[in-house]
Amino acid sequence: MTRFVLRRALAAVPIGVIVTLGVFALVFAMPGDPLRELAGDKPIPAAVLAAKRAQFHLDQPFIVQYLLSMKDILTGNFGTTFAGADIADQLRLRIPVTLKLTLLANAFQWTFGLLFGIYAGFKRNGLVDRSLLLVTLVLLAVPGLVAYFAAQYVFGVELKWFPVSGIREGFPHAYLLPALVIGLLGFAGLARLMRTSIVETVNADFVKTARAKGLGEQRVLWRHILPNAMLPIITFIGIDLAGMFGGAIITESIFNLPGLGQFMFQAIKLKEGGVVVLLSTLAFVSFIVINLIVDVLYGLFDPRARNV
Amino acid sequence: MRRVTGVLGVTLGLALVLSSCGDGKSGGNGSGAGGDKSMVIAIAADPLEYINPLNENGSPGIQVAQAIFAPLVTTDPQSGKTVNVMADSVTPDKSSQTWTVKLKTGNTFQNGQPLTAKDYVDSWNLTAQGSTAWKNNGFFSKIEGYEALNPETPEGATPKPTTVKTLSGLKQVDDLTFTVKLKVPFSQFGLTLQYLGLAPLPEEVRKDPDAYKRKPIGNGAFKLDGEWTAGGDIKLAKWDGYKGPNAPAATAITYRFIPNADTAYNEFLAGTVDFVDVPATKVKTFKTDAPDGWVTGESSGANYLTLPAWDQRYKNPKLRHAFSLAIDRQAMADLVGLATPSKGLVSPDIDGYRADACKFCDFDVAKAKTLLAEAGGFSGPVNINYNTTSATGQIFAEAIGNMLRQNLGLEVKYTGKQGSEITELADTRKLDGLRFSGWGHDYPSIEDYLSPMFKSTGDANFSGYNNPELDRVLAQGDSQSDSEAAIKLYQQAEDIALEDMPLIPLYAKQNAYLHSAKIEPRVSKYTGVQALYSTFQ
Repeated sequence: MTRFVLRRALAAVPIGVIVTLGVFALVFAMPGDPLRELAGDKPIPAAVLAAKRAQFHLDQPFIVQYLLSMKDILTGNFGTTFAGADIADQLRLRIPVTLKLTLLANAFQWTFGLLFGIYAGFKRNGLVDRSLLLVTLVLLAVPGLVAYFAAQYVFGVELKWFPVSGIREGFPHAYLLPALVIGLLGFAGLARLMRTSIVETVNADFVKTARAKGLGEQRVLWRHILPNAMLPIITFIGIDLAGMFGGAIITESIFNLPGLGQFMFQAIKLKEGGVVVLLSTLAFVSFIVINLIVDVLYGLFDPRARNV
Repeated sequence: MRRVTGVLGVTLGLALVLSSCGDGKSGGNGSGAGGDKSMVIAIAADPLEYINPLNENGSPGIQVAQAIFAPLVTTDPQSGKTVNVMADSVTPDKSSQTWTVKLKTGNTFQNGQPLTAKDYVDSWNLTAQGSTAWKNNGFFSKIEGYEALNPETPEGATPKPTTVKTLSGLKQVDDLTFTVKLKVPFSQFGLTLQYLGLAPLPEEVRKDPDAYKRKPIGNGAFKLDGEWTAGGDIKLAKWDGYKGPNAPAATAITYRFIPNADTAYNEFLAGTVDFVDVPATKVKTFKTDAPDGWVTGESSGANYLTLPAWDQRYKNPKLRHAFSLAIDRQAMADLVGLATPSKGLVSPDIDGYRADACKFCDFDVAKAKTLLAEAGGFSGPVNINYNTTSATGQIFAEAIGNMLRQNLGLEVKYTGKQGSEITELADTRKLDGLRFSGWGHDYPSIEDYLSPMFKSTGDANFSGYNNPELDRVLAQGDSQSDSEAAIKLYQQAEDIALEDMPLIPLYAKQNAYLHSAKIEPRVSKYTGVQALYSTFQ
């Protein structure tokens, strides 16, 4: 197992270089001048522009800018954003926010998704199953942006059950509403996948064999159906968890949660290559780690996967 | 039966989670307590990273700095006249080239140190150095010796280090007096001293500005209350050491930063903030959303359609007049919402504004067609550049485009770009076609509309316009110490600019704000709507 983990970690290095270089090139190619964007409508004197360019290495060629950026990231010397924010400070503030939001949202999504999915799949064509199909269809059709603002208005402004935005009320209260909305929107996909996976497994030959041997229903469900039905779900959850970061950009903006997504949005808006690459590297590393965990879990559920 | 209970069970669980959350909520900021003069002001922008008025020229930072720092002079909200704050007197010499500033006695910084002329001289010298890279550097370009601190750097090159650390035009006379010698006479310099970008920093801050970026030491009516951490609200408490005029009524202020303007608006509706700007998306609904708590203010923001001076096809003034006459300004103002058509280059709240300054700003299609024909028509499509980061950029561009197409029979195309890209292309004289521009004054003078945008060396000369005659008249106005006579000369310059029409005036936009029942924001024709100076119910 150690060798497997090491091999995966080493393989991630060249991919990491390609990913960061690609992201940096994309930001570099974006139109507009970040320092002018920062200035707004007011003109900035040439001397100040030149001094700022030099300070942030914007007067260097692309590849030098990239290497300087990577050097800063690898040595933990993050510096400040164009607007003067201390990047290390920002990470200390923002990483916990995004982690709390992501984990809470996933807790909702997994709890409801797995419970409903398993129940509906097991009792196919029952009331729960039919309601689930209808509800998930509706949920899958609602655009996130609409759902976030609607939830904010109904539960924050009108009913006042939750804070409208911000993290002043702390965890979990301030995070409940956005996490619930993300969880509900994500729940539909997971529940449907879980249901299908269960339905397919229920009809498999080995389940019939287990039943024919006279095993009890509970034992068939927990020992035979679930472990097999969980395999595609683990992959889904892994990809979903890694993808949360992208979704956080919108949620964190609307609910004013000072997380990494909001930071990424500001950085892209200001064409701030160094910060975008830093955040992409963070996302990339967490993606690799999550994938590794998924693969290890796979091995636990399915012995055949251990030697792949 | 079991299926039904299953659904019920989960629904009940969810309801429990929800209702327990409801119980946890108890009054946001506890407004309404007797005698409580605290308020929460929402600012729809990314949180500030530092408070340093010398390195701040955007609205969010200036708003906060306004509470913590006091200017030399300010505009009286009732009369519109300039009144002294930290200054005891501001006197020009006969030619308006050398100005003497005397400070009042007894003012201190919030760390207890007395406020002296040296604090101003040293703070200004620090900002005037290009290598400091502070945003208000450009303000000092009028003072003698600026070039020595800011050697010309070719585009893309690294600035050369300079050993000069002081402006030769800036001299401390005694503890409370200093003189400013300008490069050329400038009759409006006294008015510019109300700009907050000239605030003084105490010595310990000047030595290590970064160490004080989140613990400012000001000389204004409020000081920081407790710690201010990255991303957090800025809490201010009244500072008793402020002895100037125009002190706000509030005893405590919290600035809350909410980058998404619609979310900030929702926070207001939920009752957690006392003051918020109305975002562009709510211009049509804010009066019904908050029937008892809205104000609108005459803004100093003027909006123009900018023509490129570097493009030969737009050279003929008759063509520019034809474009202007083909625009239905009332329809445009209605589309923008809370706006009035403008027929001059200056904002209506400024001394010297004339409502009918522009002879070619009526909506007159027949005349427009005649002028276009006299100018020899226009070849090829008219390209209108708009800002893609603005929600309304494309809509406004299409409105103008349709008017030119329908009224003048021109072919029109549209190009969406990032705002900074448009600015960069215009600065390097490469922008193809028209663009929108806006201007708000830094100090209440008609001159602040003309010099920046129409002088050949103006730092906001969006159109690349250059007319030596206009430069000459402006310079005359600048050296005229009698303010009435100066205004006459500036109006003459406005007439020249309107005749050449490098910018077509479009509309003046009003701003709208919502406020809670607890406060009544100050509304002044001269200083706009200001939450900081609210009175309490």
